[in-house]
Parts: sequence; C-alpha cells; structure tokens
Amino acid sequence: MKVVVCVKQTPSTTATISVNDNVVTWEDTGSGKPNVVNPWDEYTIEEGIRLKENHGATETIALTFGSADSVDVLRTGLAMGCTSAVHISNEGAEEVDALDTAAVLAAAIEKVEDVKVAMCGKQAIDGDSGVMPMLVARKLGWTPLTFVAAINEITEDSITVERLLENGRQVITAKLPVVMSVVKEINEPRYPSFMGIRKANRATVPTWSLDDLGVSVSAPRVNWQKIYSLPAREGSVEMIDGDSMNDKAKKLVDKLFEEKVI
Amino acid sequence: MSGVGVYIENYEGKMMTVSQEALGAARQTANDLGKSLTAVVIGQNVADVAAAAFDLGADSVIGSDHAALAEYRAEAFGPLLTQLVQEAGLDVLIAGATTQGRDMTAWLAADLNAGLIADATALKVDGDRVVATRPVYAGKLLSDTVIPEGMQIISLRSRAFAPAESTGGSGSAQWVDANVGDISTEVTGFKAKEGGVSLTDAKIIVSGGRGVGGPEGFDPVRALADTLGGALGASRATVDAGWIPYDHQVGQTGKTVSPDLYIACGISGAIQHQAGMRTSKIIVAINKDSEAPIFGLAHYGVVGDLFDVVPAVEAEFKKRLG
Repeated sequence: MKVVVCVKQTPSTTATISVNDNVVTWEDTGSGKPNVVNPWDEYTIEEGIRLKENHGATETIALTFGSADSVDVLRTGLAMGCTSAVHISNEGAEEVDALDTAAVLAAAIEKVEDVKVAMCGKQAIDGDSGVMPMLVARKLGWTPLTFVAAINEITEDSITVERLLENGRQVITAKLPVVMSVVKEINEPRYPSFMGIRKANRATVPTWSLDDLGVSVSAPRVNWQKIYSLPAREGSVEMIDGDSMNDKAKKLVDKLFEEKVI
Repeated sequence: MSGVGVYIENYEGKMMTVSQEALGAARQTANDLGKSLTAVVIGQNVADVAAAAFDLGADSVIGSDHAALAEYRAEAFGPLLTQLVQEAGLDVLIAGATTQGRDMTAWLAADLNAGLIADATALKVDGDRVVATRPVYAGKLLSDTVIPEGMQIISLRSRAFAPAESTGGSGSAQWVDANVGDISTEVTGFKAKEGGVSLTDAKIIVSGGRGVGGPEGFDPVRALADTLGGALGASRATVDAGWIPYDHQVGQTGKTVSPDLYIACGISGAIQHQAGMRTSKIIVAINKDSEAPIFGLAHYGVVGDLFDVVPAVEAEFKKRLG
C-alpha cells in the first residue's frame, strides 16, 4: 500500500507580502527563507510517514506541483522520512486554477500506481481556499475524508477516522482508496534529522511534465481581478489607565458598552 | 432557466447560523441579478428547515428528506446537491464556508466543471457576474475575484454577512426522491462538542495565551467568556503545551474567527495568531508586556497581569449584566 502526500510551497508565515499592479511578491528579512512548506502540509507529511512506520504502508511519496524551486518542499519531506518524491513541473502553465490543479495531482497519483491513501493539508496559507482535497477526491473518484483529526484504524481495505467538525467529531469508516485532509491535532511533526537532511539533499527527484501526465489545463475559471492590501486600521490602540484595577476594569467595560459589542 | 441557490446546512433539525447569513447575502445577490432565490435543503426530517428558509426570504425550496441523510456524508449529500442544483436550474450557488460547505461547494464545482470561490467576506454584482472579496495570503491581502463564465459557486466566511431577517414568507417545498443506495462510508459515531458556543459563530470570544501559565490558568478566562455568553479561544502555544484542546485554537493552524468582540488575555499576538482573528470588530488586549505585538492590532489595551485584570473585568460585567 502506497501513500501519497501532496505538498505545496507557500510564502513563509512571517514574510512581508506586497502587491503592486496585481502582482504579489514577498520577502522574509527575519528568517531569510521567503518560501516554506505550507504549514498545514507538515502534518500531512508526518501522518504519511507514520502510516509507513506504524501501519504497514510500503512507501510514502511526496508530490508537489509548481516551479523548479518548489522542489525544496519535497526535500523537506524526504528529510523528514518520505521514501521518494516527485516534482510536477508547471512550466508553460503558470496560471492554473484549483480544479485543474486537482486534475494534475489526481493524474500524478494515478501514475504512481497502487496508492491507497492520498493526503493534503487542510488548506494552503496563500490561496486559503481549503477545497483541494475534495477536488482531488472527485477527480480520482475516491472517497473524500476531509478535516481528519485522528486515524483510529486502518486495514488492508478500510480506514476509520475522526473528522473535526464545527459541532463535534464524526467517526466514519470508509473503504480504501481515500483522499484525506488532516488538521493540526492529528500529530506533532518531527524535525528532519541531520542524516535525513543529508540524504534528502543527495536524493534524485524526478520531474514529470503535464505532457507526461496527459493533462492539459484550461484558462482559470476564477479571475483574481484585483489584489490589494488590507485597508489600514483607523486610529491606534487606546490604553486604559486608572487608579486601581477596579477603576481600569470599569473604564474598559464602559468603552465596550459604548462600542455596542456586548 | 437561471437562479441563485443557497445550500442550507442543518444540525439537529435546525438551520445553522451560517446558512441564515448565506440566505441574507444570497437574497441581496439575487435581487441585484434580477433572479429568484432557491434554498437547497438536504437531510432527515428537515420540513422545519425548509419552512425557515421560506421565512428567511427564499422564493422556493428544493430538497431531499431521507433517513439515509440523517448524518452528513459527502458521498450521500454531494451527488444530491448536484442533482438538485440542476433540477432547479441554478447558475449561482452560495454556501457557508464551513467544513461541510467547503466539501459541498468543491463537490459541485468538480461535477459541473465550474469556478469556485471560497471564504468570501463581501459580495457585489457587476453586470451578470458576482464579484467576491476574499482574504488571501493568511489574511494579509484581499482579492476581488470573479468567475467570468458559467456556473458561479461561492462560499462565505462565517459572521461576515448579516443573517437574513424573518419575512413571514411561506411556501411548499419541492421534495425530490433521494437515491442513496450504494455508499461506501458509514458513520459509526458522533461526539457532540461539549457545551459552549462554536468559535466561528461566536459574537464574543475570550482567548488565553501563554500568559495563563497552565491548564488552570484558563479558569478566569473561561469565567469571563461564560459571563459574556461567549466562546473560549486559545493561542497555539497553549494548545501545543496540552493546556487546552485543539478545537479552541485561533490562528493560522487553528480557526479563523471574526467576532464582534475579541478579548486576548496573555496573548503576545504573533503574526500566526493575528491571521486567525484580525477581522474581529473590536479587539481588547490584556498583557503584562506593554510592547507585545497584540497592542498594535488592539482597539483597547490594558497593561497588567491577566490574573488581576480578567477577574476585575468579569466582576464589573457581572455587576452591569445582572
């Protein structure tokens, strides 16, 4: 049984993001690393590796779709313990919408063969749509299991998981193959070991083109007409002062009643 | 044929708040487009939910009511949603951007090869298209997005739109037989969330951060939330430390919330936390460290030990609220 983890490269959380003429750029002067593994995907990678370590999966394959430098996120996956990785090049298809991206990932998962569990993070912190796992499931015709917080049991042909929903936790059993998205509660991602990093840096990562996958992409179904910065917040913080704690509390509560938020 | 549809979520026989908000936003959109508004209801014993949809402004209701739909499963609800949308001839479908709403809008988009916009915070109509504004890049930017051709599928962030108001409207729903024979998944349990208000629906959230110091440190924070009828939030650090369960986490790898009032107690306000709460209407920061980044985002700040400030604030609210 093979497991595929879909990983995306995103701007780092602490990156400063700017937009000019609808073109988004970013830099991270603090960490010096402007691009990272999408934070939600760290849980995906970890869970994919655990399925191999603890539940009899034979391989855990990391997959990404993007530019040449997005291979970096695959090396992170390899350093953590993925057995191999595949880069799908977006050359000639820089603007791909969610549905076509799902078609690309689905075709790659099929090309890997014998995959029983495909996983994605809950959402990516750039597009923030949170729809990719379901779209990939539909493109493959596999059962979707989204927002998974725990895998209770996995056998040769079925899986039981807990899905974290607004009103509680749903326990659900499905036949394999499935496409899962996982939330943070599912695990605590490991740090890559020094040996892991060395091994990952030496690993050969094959690149597949859209032609290799037999997928063609259409014009995006969604246009980002205008991208812009948040309007600056009016005013600055009003610090509440007072002679005593009770006095401060009284003043704060007065303000909140005036704001009509109570 | 064309029309605007709203996917209605129900839980324990009642319409979810986010669906009331979706009805409000969709009613306005339908009016601006000069189209009718259809509510799509799927579940078991949902006649009351259909009636509520008429009352909240739907011109018509199409749905399926079946024992096999008692609990949400994507494979049961998804094909039905596609079928109902097609039978009603809808060309715009609006839903809440909940776990279920994200699932269902994506299912529909894949089936109909249609454009999909998730988590919109504002809608307007331009000609015959809907322009949806949505936060992107962890809430650091906004994007006005549009689906230029064909079916338009849009989900809405909780609490970004005012809920529809009662119109006194009524009507009879069109019930379609659900063909839910061969479904491979089985729901074997549901653990309902214990007490308290759902974070994404909450008007008031009181959150604790590293400053609470341990699991017991949440007691005054929880007490203030209870006094205000609000929900209890938490920073990532406290969840990672095991002081409070994950479903309380606000921020980048937790929940995104936009309450009327957000009170951050002992939370420094890292960029990851801000990503989850920056759209709150009024933000109050209570922190010992006057240099904490949270004060840069807050509307009101109190510098002090949360174990002194929070109980004093709670006592004051108790006095006023009786």
